Amino acid sequence: MQAVYATQKKKTIVTVLVLTVLIMTLLPLQAAKAADSVPYDTYTYDYWETIIFTPAPYIPGETISGVSLGVGALNDPQGIYVASDDSVYIADTGNNRILVLEQDLKTVRDVIVTFDNNGTTDSFNKPRGVMVTGDGTIYVADTENRRVIALAGGKVVKTIENPQAEILGENFDFVPLKVTVDYAGRVFVIARDMFQGIMTFGEDGEFIGFYGTINVTITLWERFWRALSTQEQRARGRLFIPTVFTGLDVDPAGFVYASNIDGDGKQAVRRLNPKGEDVLRKGSNEHVGGDIALFGSSASAYSGPSNIIDVAYRGNGMYSLLDSRRGRIFTYDYEGNLLYIFGGMGQLAGTFRQPTAIAAQKDRVLALDAVRNELITFEETLYGELINEAVALRYGGDEAQAVEVWQQVLRLNENFELANAGIGKAYLTAGENELAMEYLKKGMDKQNYSIAFKRWRNDILKENIGWILTAALCTITAFTVVRVVLKKRKGSVQDEGGDVFDA
Amino acid sequence: MRKYFSRERTQYMFGVLSRPIDSFYEIRYRDKGSIPLAVICVLCLAVLFTVNRVFAGFTVNEVNPLMIDGIAEMSSFFVLLGLFCVGNWAVTCLMEGEGRMRDIITVAGYAMLPITLILGPATLISNFISIEEAAIYQILLIIGIAWTAVLLLIGIMTVHNYTLAKALITLLLTFLTVLILVFISVLVLDLLNQIYGFFYSIYTEIIFRF
Repeated sequence: MQAVYATQKKKTIVTVLVLTVLIMTLLPLQAAKAADSVPYDTYTYDYWETIIFTPAPYIPGETISGVSLGVGALNDPQGIYVASDDSVYIADTGNNRILVLEQDLKTVRDVIVTFDNNGTTDSFNKPRGVMVTGDGTIYVADTENRRVIALAGGKVVKTIENPQAEILGENFDFVPLKVTVDYAGRVFVIARDMFQGIMTFGEDGEFIGFYGTINVTITLWERFWRALSTQEQRARGRLFIPTVFTGLDVDPAGFVYASNIDGDGKQAVRRLNPKGEDVLRKGSNEHVGGDIALFGSSASAYSGPSNIIDVAYRGNGMYSLLDSRRGRIFTYDYEGNLLYIFGGMGQLAGTFRQPTAIAAQKDRVLALDAVRNELITFEETLYGELINEAVALRYGGDEAQAVEVWQQVLRLNENFELANAGIGKAYLTAGENELAMEYLKKGMDKQNYSIAFKRWRNDILKENIGWILTAALCTITAFTVVRVVLKKRKGSVQDEGGDVFDA
Repeated sequence: MRKYFSRERTQYMFGVLSRPIDSFYEIRYRDKGSIPLAVICVLCLAVLFTVNRVFAGFTVNEVNPLMIDGIAEMSSFFVLLGLFCVGNWAVTCLMEGEGRMRDIITVAGYAMLPITLILGPATLISNFISIEEAAIYQILLIIGIAWTAVLLLIGIMTVHNYTLAKALITLLLTFLTVLILVFISVLVLDLLNQIYGFFYSIYTEIIFRF
């Protein structure tokens, strides 16, 4: 009996050992899987405006607080810009300084605290915006000093302050928040409480005028109520003022991307041409405002319009928007199609508490958080990389090459409508109408599907027109013959009858 | 059974399409109508409606296939037409209408015939058209709906022996009556629900105690 017990015990020990080894070997796998998952939802909206979850296009990379760089913690950072040499400029608002990081984000190139202002030493006061031109001139929106200054080699080369113009009024308080400069040297400034639009300044710093004004739209219903209400009610009611711009970026062609807060959640970004007209393409669903306002309890994490506070031009016509309400980053292509959404609020690394600014550094996305006081980086995954690549190929007009990339995207996410539509369009160009129809239908591209369908229909008609016409002709002839024969027979029967009668 | 689906009655049903006034007159005063045929009409329309939503061509179909609930859509046709019949009957009773309930049901059912006949072919055609030709499909549907509306109006006029103006007024009043009916039924349902909840809580109370 004892022996039996012993063997059984031995058996259990062996099993336990084997199991432990097994688990130990499996655990690292599990851990790796956990690291792959991201602390936020990644999704897109499909044609029917329902949420489709996707693989993560971007995963959190590093979080940089400034301490690791040896320059002390960031304090309420509000502005970020990536220069043409991929160095990163951060407006460290609370510390009254501009940080310049090397492109690897590991070393500090420069900390600008003081500078030479026409012979005297000067400093910033809560600078909120920073921008660097191609020749290395740094433009800073020096918010509390109420000026925009351009620095080159530690010296002030241009100051924009206290702009004078009739439309600005006598006691205009110029509080610059964001600044950007186009290739022609025009300076674009978002100023606090400036509802008329973005302020533009010439090369010498003189005020030119407003740019990209957002017009107020009053619905018929609101107009009706305003007509009914009394003077006092109108005074107490909601003001119909245009929304203000929140963030700026400029693309190499000189088009200004300006984000704004849209209460309807429809259009939260504008692409302004040199004349200040919005030339943004809005995609098939006319929606470039972040989350599509969904209502109902099941979608509460997504309902309500996004609060877009910054925009970053990503290259190849792509741009990303940063939502401060739910901490999401929305990326669109040049046609206004939503590519992917990532990011979220939370306490984990790689999530936001109060996002303030966004910038793109090659394939990386950089964002600032004013409560965490950190710079958060997002690294692209294979999925994100493939989409970026395909969009770049399409933007360059290379649809045929894009097809291969779209095929790979589909392998990772077969519900991606843009990929299906892209492949369908390429087949359409190649004349493969039937395949084009299949993919365009999956991609919900009705216009191009219609074209493919028409070609396919024509082909079928052309191929078969011969026998269709022959068959039609034969049927008609047969009918006529039968009719004539029947008539004759009837006639002959009558004749016979007549004969019979006669007889 | 023979009586309801006789050749004569079927002929009168289709006769409504070409000679609505005469046919509705015969239906009312010579009992040429058939309630089962009217119900079949509505059933066909209900089925074809859902079929249209699912199978209409990709180029013209603006319905999310995931949002289609066939049973609910089909039964809603019967509920709506039922409400219309009850509402119209209630109003016309007070407004010297000569039509009986069965005439109203027959009119409501037979009037659906044009759109029922057009919806099937229109769905078929929609699968063979491009976006530029979508107008053909839309015009077909508009014709069907307009024809149905005209038939309904003429039917109500004829069976109640009304003038056009009076028929229009009764239709408006019918609409209001339907609203009241819906309101009251929602109220009653809510009340019943609360009564049920009351007794159910008593039941659970007793169950947990003993």
